Amino acid sequence: MIEVVGLSKRYGPKTAVDGLSFTVEPGVVTGFLGPNGAGKTTTMRMLVGLGSPTSGFTRVNGKPYRAHRAPLREIGVLLDARAVHPGRSARDHLLALGATHGISGRRVDEVLEVVGLTEVARRRAGAFSLGMGQRLGIAVALLGDPRTVVLDEPVNGLDPDGIRWIRHLLKDLAAEGRTVFVSSHLMSEMALTAEHLIVVGRGKLVADVPMAELIASVERGVHVRSPRSRELVEVLRGDGVRISSVTSDVLDVTGLSTEDIGTRALQAGIPLFELIPQKASLEDAYAELTRDVVEYQGAATSLGEAA
Amino acid sequence: MTATREAGLTFGGVLRSEWVKLRSVRSSGLTVLGASLTMIVAGLVFASTIGTDSDGADGVTDPAGITLSGVLFAQLVVGVLGVLVVSGEYSTGMIRSTLTGVPSRSPVLAGKVVVLVGAVFPVVLASAFIVFFAGQAVMGGAGLPTARIGDAGVLAALVGSAVTMTGVAVIGLALGALLRNTAGAVSALVVLVFLAPGLGGLLLPVSWRDGVLKFLPSSAAEAFTSVAPGPGLLTASSGAAVFAAWVVVPLLVAAVLLRRRDV
Repeated sequence: MIEVVGLSKRYGPKTAVDGLSFTVEPGVVTGFLGPNGAGKTTTMRMLVGLGSPTSGFTRVNGKPYRAHRAPLREIGVLLDARAVHPGRSARDHLLALGATHGISGRRVDEVLEVVGLTEVARRRAGAFSLGMGQRLGIAVALLGDPRTVVLDEPVNGLDPDGIRWIRHLLKDLAAEGRTVFVSSHLMSEMALTAEHLIVVGRGKLVADVPMAELIASVERGVHVRSPRSRELVEVLRGDGVRISSVTSDVLDVTGLSTEDIGTRALQAGIPLFELIPQKASLEDAYAELTRDVVEYQGAATSLGEAA
Repeated sequence: MTATREAGLTFGGVLRSEWVKLRSVRSSGLTVLGASLTMIVAGLVFASTIGTDSDGADGVTDPAGITLSGVLFAQLVVGVLGVLVVSGEYSTGMIRSTLTGVPSRSPVLAGKVVVLVGAVFPVVLASAFIVFFAGQAVMGGAGLPTARIGDAGVLAALVGSAVTMTGVAVIGLALGALLRNTAGAVSALVVLVFLAPGLGGLLLPVSWRDGVLKFLPSSAAEAFTSVAPGPGLLTASSGAAVFAAWVVVPLLVAAVLLRRRDV
């Protein structure tokens, strides 16, 4: 479990993290989402004591990180895949970090296997590709078999195979009852892995919601096409139901599920040609949440990814 | 994943970690070897060229000191190794991995000092003895005056030289930790150990010169390592105390800053 309480970090006049409070629960993958420069990395650095808060505090598994007797067994972090001496082999890198906690060479070989670096374990880390460096960083995070795993943008630099692998890994770790906290600036990535979302912008908490709730919030009613739309309106009418007609045979219905509409139409003997739930994409929901807090806003007509 | 719930973080573990780090980067071993070779080669060159000038055998007043002439250069080599032990972690980002594993931080600095001393001291001590005996043999062969290991001050000079070199390595480590930058720390080391005596001699007012210069690390070291100390030096024990302060004070400041600064 991770607790962040009233956390702030200022660098001179710039506030990177501004009164942030949230809790990350074990057993599910929690996404940490926000535009670049929102304070995600700064927050994660403070979790493991690399940066000290200007105010507020963080706790990992009930204690400040520094108070743990075996920090690497409490929390494993990937903050910066390049936190490696390029002249040292992957295996020696892990051996050196593990030695502080009496972690054996056997465990080192085990995590190398898990991240798929066994074959290159004795090669200099400086010769690694971006993806291999990322895998080594993940090996470091897993080294102490920690109860809490924190990964900053883990899919960066991974190939499609690697991305699928990390999605499974995150879900497996959460299923084992661990706390899994993963940052990304891509909603599309979070949508596939996270069950809970902490959204930040300009260092402030924007949303702390279960993914399911966020998905529900972006539902925009049901698109219904029927040759007998006028009769269908009478059948569907009720409390909390809003119906607007788009064209003479197309209705937009909110307040009823597709199941409700289909069942009632069948009971009334009205044929339906189309019955489609309308959803705004999660990307739209995310863009809406963070619209006011995007640090580096492009021109109105942005090309490419809107996240 | 198998559970491996064993011991937690220990200082012994930090020591092993720092040893793995030092031995797993090829340049560390080469640097120590380089320091040893510098000492031996420079000592032998001086031993075989001394007495060939117009002074002849009269120029040889300190035969032990002549064979230890390489110490001045070799201590710069181990000093750079000391710098790299810390600054290399900052330049590569490794320091973030290191301090995440040891969030109390000071044990990392202590572990680095112990491992550096352990790697440097035995090698430079052995090199001091090798170059002493080999150099005396060379000078004896040329019919020049020689020193024996049992002569007054000779053993102290050999051990003292090894201590000085190891101390300079630790000063380098402390500078690396203070400045967190290889180029800056190496420059500071060169100025402090090599250039300060000459620059001080040039720039300081005459009335201060002798009072200040004898407190520099190189002069303080000379006071307790020379068989025949030059004029204007501290006593051997004061020299040792001043040199120790040059080693310990920057290290303590570095430890305090390491705990305070973000990385």
